[in-house]
Amino acid sequence: MKARAPAASARQRGFEFTHALESVSRGIADPAAKLKFIRGSLEKFHGADRAVSLLPLPGVRRFLYRWLSLEGIQPLLTGKGLGGSEPEARGVRHSLLVARAVLAGMTLVTLVAVTGAARQLARPAVVQPAQAGGTLPAVAEALPPLPAGVTPGAIWLVERGNGFEQLSNGLRIETAWSVQGDPRLYHVFDAEAGLVNEVHDRPAGLLFHTTESDIWPLEAGYNEKLRDSSERLLKYLQRNRTYHYLIDRFGRVFRVVEEASKANHAGHSVWESGGTVYLNLNHAFLGVSFESRWGGGQTLPITQAQLVAGRNLTDYLRQRFEIPAGMCVAHGLTSVNPKQHRIGHHMDWSRGFPWAAFGLPDQYAREAPSVALFGFGYDQDFLKVLPEPWDGVRAAEERLAEAARREGRSLEDVRRERQRTYDRWTAEQAQADRKGGEKVDRASVVRPQGAASGG
Amino acid sequence: MEDRKDHLWKVAQEAEERIDDLMKAGANPMGVDVGTSKVVAARRKAKEIDSLSELNAFIPVPYAKVTETILTQNQIAYYREGDELIVYGTATERFANMFNAELRRPMADGLLNPREKRAMPVLEAIVNNLVPKPKAQGETLAFSVPAAIAGREAALTYHEATLRGLFQGMGYRPVAINEGLAVVFAELEDNNFTGIGVSCGGGMCNATLAFLSIPAIMVGIAKGGDYIDTAVGAVINEHATRVKVMKEDGVDLSRQPSDKFGRAIRIYYEELVETVVDGIHKAISAAERLPRADRALPIVLSGGTAKPKGFKDLFEKALRARAMPFEIAEIRMAKDPLTATARGALIAAMYEK
Repeated sequence: MKARAPAASARQRGFEFTHALESVSRGIADPAAKLKFIRGSLEKFHGADRAVSLLPLPGVRRFLYRWLSLEGIQPLLTGKGLGGSEPEARGVRHSLLVARAVLAGMTLVTLVAVTGAARQLARPAVVQPAQAGGTLPAVAEALPPLPAGVTPGAIWLVERGNGFEQLSNGLRIETAWSVQGDPRLYHVFDAEAGLVNEVHDRPAGLLFHTTESDIWPLEAGYNEKLRDSSERLLKYLQRNRTYHYLIDRFGRVFRVVEEASKANHAGHSVWESGGTVYLNLNHAFLGVSFESRWGGGQTLPITQAQLVAGRNLTDYLRQRFEIPAGMCVAHGLTSVNPKQHRIGHHMDWSRGFPWAAFGLPDQYAREAPSVALFGFGYDQDFLKVLPEPWDGVRAAEERLAEAARREGRSLEDVRRERQRTYDRWTAEQAQADRKGGEKVDRASVVRPQGAASGG
Repeated sequence: MEDRKDHLWKVAQEAEERIDDLMKAGANPMGVDVGTSKVVAARRKAKEIDSLSELNAFIPVPYAKVTETILTQNQIAYYREGDELIVYGTATERFANMFNAELRRPMADGLLNPREKRAMPVLEAIVNNLVPKPKAQGETLAFSVPAAIAGREAALTYHEATLRGLFQGMGYRPVAINEGLAVVFAELEDNNFTGIGVSCGGGMCNATLAFLSIPAIMVGIAKGGDYIDTAVGAVINEHATRVKVMKEDGVDLSRQPSDKFGRAIRIYYEELVETVVDGIHKAISAAERLPRADRALPIVLSGGTAKPKGFKDLFEKALRARAMPFEIAEIRMAKDPLTATARGALIAAMYEK
């Protein structure tokens, strides 16, 4: 595991929290949604702030504020909601005084308990996965490829039972959580000619995600936590129709959204393959998420069981939907901020995906379509998360620079022109999808001959 | 830190979905700017924001059958009260100008006018003209309130509670939003709701410094367009209503004035801007606890009084003459200065939903 940089001061962390919050919220287009997001995020810190404010000793309070990174943003947590008069404020203040008086007699044990609770409220319970017995490699990218020939020539459904499907390559899909989402209908673009006036309804690619959820050590003592965490995650994913598949820490594969439906997994995103450009990949790509999260500049290690299950699932989906290897990609490589024209809006798997172990080409080396085709860039926030962009970004930047030289224009000019193309295309896509959604002539849906229907 | 950045995205996605849910459910939140000069209502229509406004003024005329017929034929808003017809809303100005009479206002200096006995009935009639009954009981409506001015806190409490009662009576769940903050919501979305929103209306000017949508400082100045109208009217011997009409015909503060009216307008505008900027400067300088700003903050100007050409330059000049504790990125006019507060209130209503 790479050495972590020295921990920033607590004050600095509070400051960085607002930076991180802002960089994410910039990508939210709807102002009310953005407001909800910002205030929701601040509210999480507010919980910790409230707990600390109950402590009777000013010195201890000050120490805890600093320790919990609240110092830098504390004025934001106590501000008036919408600036209207709040008659209850006096009552709250009174309650606070009473509470402080009562708490003044509490013992050090209570202090420690409240402190622990406050810390719990302030931060998600992120624990580095266990290194027990040295069975887990340090980073996912170091996992060795599976031996050749592990995948059978064809994969078929062996048995469908109550709540499961068994495939011939050993893959077992848990289907009890499966729900239907909105129908999959999308348009694609020809890299040269623009919008293709055809509606598609079959998945064209696979997008790999991480769940960004709490990760517990993979130890028997944490079994209950591990199971509980996965179950809560499944409920969340099901409610929000977030991915098609989830692979939990034990390598169990859950179907969350049926394959025939779109899932809300990709957001604003860009990919290109063989001259066909895909924008906003919720419809065109199946979302496969590993229970893991980004941490310390990389994706935390996935388990051997997840790796095996992930590979089997990939093989099955690729065969079922005839998905070429070049259309299997990580979310972090496709995610963009459309307003700022920046890459890396979401960063999951933007480092460390074990391509070789999945029998896939190294997509990090592939020219980044968002940069090459649409002139997207990145900012300091991106570099804080990933100090060096993946190779494909550099390659795409070189391609852009070459185009600028060839056309005798400035790089900025070329970027801006391509960004305008992106803006125009997304608008055209939205319009086409709206029309398509209103009235789809089923006969006009593009579907290869003899292809199996999803489901 | 990098740990936290990516962790947030799920929340972002959820927030967007909640808005989708809100729209699908047929919910219809409203934003209302209850200003001294105008009442503006905003609501979301599909992906757009639709706004309507009425002049917050009235004029009583003696009752006569023929007058009532003319009002009805011309679709002029009025109601009858005893032997008077109360003409209210946008048509009032035309009447007042025609009869060389002063129009009357339900509000003064940003709050309900305590000297006007018809304040509430007229305001209620205007609001009813603009704001439809909610489709479902308890629909959220956010209405603007000014910042408190020292010594007038009680009047603000009464003002806010009265409006709350009015909207509640219509079936809404009302929430009050500070006027300057509403401008921040409407105009500083790209800055993550960080910056200063200034609203210069008829009765007051309001400014709010917000960080990440949280109001840190709210300033209220009891001077606005009405002050300019009255002061200029006294100098050139005209009714304030007449001055308002002349002013709205087009004032250009970027040019040297060529007549007495122009000179008077410029003098009082400069005074107003100085007062507002000074108020903001003092409030910020006196603040004990402000979140640290690591970047330059934008300022957005809105409201009818800020509309004349050259207002922004006056504001900028006054601001640059003072040392602020943070850097100013830009000073700009709101996209639509007259509807910014109502649009911001609508965003607040959608957030509160």
